[in-house]
Amino acid sequence: MRILGISAHYHDSAAALVVDGLPVCAIQEERLSRRKNDSAFPLAAVEWCLDEAGLEPEELDAVVFYEKPMRKLERILVTALRAFPRSWRSFPQAMKNTLGEKAWVKGIIASRLGVPARKILFTEHHQSHAAAAFLTSPAREAAILTADGVGEWATLTEGRGSRSPDGGCAIELLRELRFPHSLGMFYSTFTAYLGFEVNEGEYKVMGLASYGEPRFAEQVRAILRPTADGALELDLGYFDFHLSGRRAWSSRLVDVFGPPRSPGHPLDLATPDGKRFADVAASVQRVLEDRLVELTRALRRETGLRDLCLGGGVALNGCANARILNESGFERVFVPPAPGDAGCALGAALYADRIHFGGRDRPVPDHAYWGCPVDAGELERLAREDGLEVELAPGDRALVERVAEELANGRIVGWMDGRCELGPRALGNRSILASPASADMRDRLNREVKFREEFRPFAPAVPAGVADRYFELPPGGARLGRFMSGVFPVRPEWRSRLGAVTHVDGTARVQVVDPEVSPRFHALLLAYGARTGIPVLLNTSFNLSGEPIVARAVEGYSTFRRSGIDLVVAGRCIVAKARASGVRREEEAVS
Amino acid sequence: MDEHRAPSLERILRPVHRWVWRDAHRCARKLLTFAATEADGGRDLSRAAELTTDPLLRRLFLRHALDESHHAELFRARGRTMLAALGGGGGWLEARWLTPGERGGDDLRVEDVKDASLLAFLHLSEKVAAARFEVYRDVIPDEETREVFRRILRDEVFHVHYTRTQLERIAPERHRRELWLARASRLWKGYLRVATALAGRLGTVILLAQYFLVLPLFALAAKRAARRERPGWSERQREQPTLESQY
Ligand SMILES: [Fe+2]
Ligand SMILES: [Fe+2]
Ligand SMILES: [Fe+2]
Repeated sequence: MRILGISAHYHDSAAALVVDGLPVCAIQEERLSRRKNDSAFPLAAVEWCLDEAGLEPEELDAVVFYEKPMRKLERILVTALRAFPRSWRSFPQAMKNTLGEKAWVKGIIASRLGVPARKILFTEHHQSHAAAAFLTSPAREAAILTADGVGEWATLTEGRGSRSPDGGCAIELLRELRFPHSLGMFYSTFTAYLGFEVNEGEYKVMGLASYGEPRFAEQVRAILRPTADGALELDLGYFDFHLSGRRAWSSRLVDVFGPPRSPGHPLDLATPDGKRFADVAASVQRVLEDRLVELTRALRRETGLRDLCLGGGVALNGCANARILNESGFERVFVPPAPGDAGCALGAALYADRIHFGGRDRPVPDHAYWGCPVDAGELERLAREDGLEVELAPGDRALVERVAEELANGRIVGWMDGRCELGPRALGNRSILASPASADMRDRLNREVKFREEFRPFAPAVPAGVADRYFELPPGGARLGRFMSGVFPVRPEWRSRLGAVTHVDGTARVQVVDPEVSPRFHALLLAYGARTGIPVLLNTSFNLSGEPIVARAVEGYSTFRRSGIDLVVAGRCIVAKARASGVRREEEAVS
Repeated sequence: MDEHRAPSLERILRPVHRWVWRDAHRCARKLLTFAATEADGGRDLSRAAELTTDPLLRRLFLRHALDESHHAELFRARGRTMLAALGGGGGWLEARWLTPGERGGDDLRVEDVKDASLLAFLHLSEKVAAARFEVYRDVIPDEETREVFRRILRDEVFHVHYTRTQLERIAPERHRRELWLARASRLWKGYLRVATALAGRLGTVILLAQYFLVLPLFALAAKRAARRERPGWSERQREQPTLESQY
């Protein structure tokens, strides 16, 4: 069976290919189109996947779209009707948005790919999330919780997944919470209120929360409250997202929390307003976590299962994930590397394979590296053309020693290895690496490379064997750390020596590196540790702000040339920046 | 030198520009918008650098990209400083269409064009931007913001210049034709923008008419159904729709 999964039209679109039950490749459109959060129909991603597998579109057995477009259209229409006449402003825009490409997905897939309509299938949005979480995990039997902004109608689902000894798979979603009651919309509304971009700035809210006191927690609890049957509801009096397209919150929300922060306005934590915003963030984060803990505790009691698979954009909240692991009673919590909509492309394809076609279960390789490979030769050629010195390491050992030496000397390294990650995290294949030791390095990276708000922490990467020495990982914590899905305390005795990756509250979003899946990166961590005494590196995604993570060598090279990165590595090819650059004058002369 | 002189339209619009830039709140917001435009321009150029096979062009595009992101930084810093000094509030009309930033309404799909066409396009676009920025520099009341424009204009002169010389280098025979084609395509795109906007407006009117004429009855039914809905879990139907269904 050759099944192509597609997610598109909302946030970051993606394509994934499953052949004979196993993923072959999966990539977000933005990595190829180079437009951040590209939500267009992922034609480039589809083409790349088919090329990579050497398939023609007609050889596909099915193309699976990650949601039901007509049900989504229904939700948008009904929402507009319910809000009549207040929805008059948003109605034309909503209709134009939806009646364009989005409602006619079947036609678009058929015409763009030349696939007969009968081969085109549609999973439900949360089925795709659930499949992306459960079918990529090693769990035999697990409870499933998915939560996002909204799919068709559902915003949160609970269910269970199981693999039987005869190779069959089942995913049963038991119940759902429906729009407009939504944890994702709740969090995004406050993201926008705090002046960050929705679908992008959510993790800034999480970072900001650590600077505040949850002094508004009671008020927030009244807005996101439990229902008698153990679900959740939003007090819609505080929200406008379901009424008008103009603003997500209502004036009542402003009455309680004060005026919102306008985007672009400096956020100064020393001012009363800055403090207030941090306190709002802390309160929102606290209540989100509390509610998720309540939900998962009840789910654990009900199912009696030991494993929990989390899916949907809300599962990107590493602080919440860690609390779920600590407090829900589940022994293991699995979050896939791409729990958001991009991962749904893979989820939809796997769902079709295992459940719709009844394919035999096969364990899915437990990593995130499904994207395009890096070509060291390309980096070498570009650097030579530009007159930069190129070093080709004779072997992995030499490469790792050389790069570790540079890192130990305080240099910033753009590191590309193997295939690029699926999902928002750089997990050591497209990463910017640096010494985690001091806060100076954090500031330097913020200033010279990432050009970004300072209250967001960088993440550390640590070899699996020694993770426990530096970080307080609860049982099951290393598993969450595999894809940087959990935030855990840095052990107090190491905090001063891990200044660039320790957040103000003493925590870090740690990546626990498995030598089996990332042998080179793992070796690099050890080599760095041999020099500095601590085998921990700062690991942040290889991109500049506003740009997608680099995929190919040429993008890594251009990022290196446009930022304060000292050294760029692709495979065994190493290129360093020339010390004193006369490049500028030379070019002026030519031009 | 007449290449860099403000075209007459920009000069005629000078009083309008003066009015637009007079309000400090609006000025600050505009600078932040400009920052975003410059940053976008920088990304387009870095993409161009990644796509070209000509090493010299790659280096120039990279340098150009760096300039644009530096401009973004300058605009952003100035805008933020002004906003911080002004305090919150001030939801002033920004009048974007009156005073566009660099690249203005020009949209660029770097992947789809060859180096020569790209250079021709950049040359024209940079030239117009430089002219516009000269006018802004002259009409803006506060000295510090004027200095930002002065600083940026120095780079813009370089951008206008190198795009022209490089165009002549890589297309010595047809650089004039490329420039004319770029001019025509800018006009065509401008027309398309206006036409699309008009069509959009028309669509909005039609949809709004339907909204108020057709929807009320259904709205009543929908509201009634909504009132019957209980908060909390919805049980999922036993019979799930198959994957063939879009509904
Ligand atoms: Fe989703
Ligand atoms: Fe510029
Ligand atoms: Fe420019």
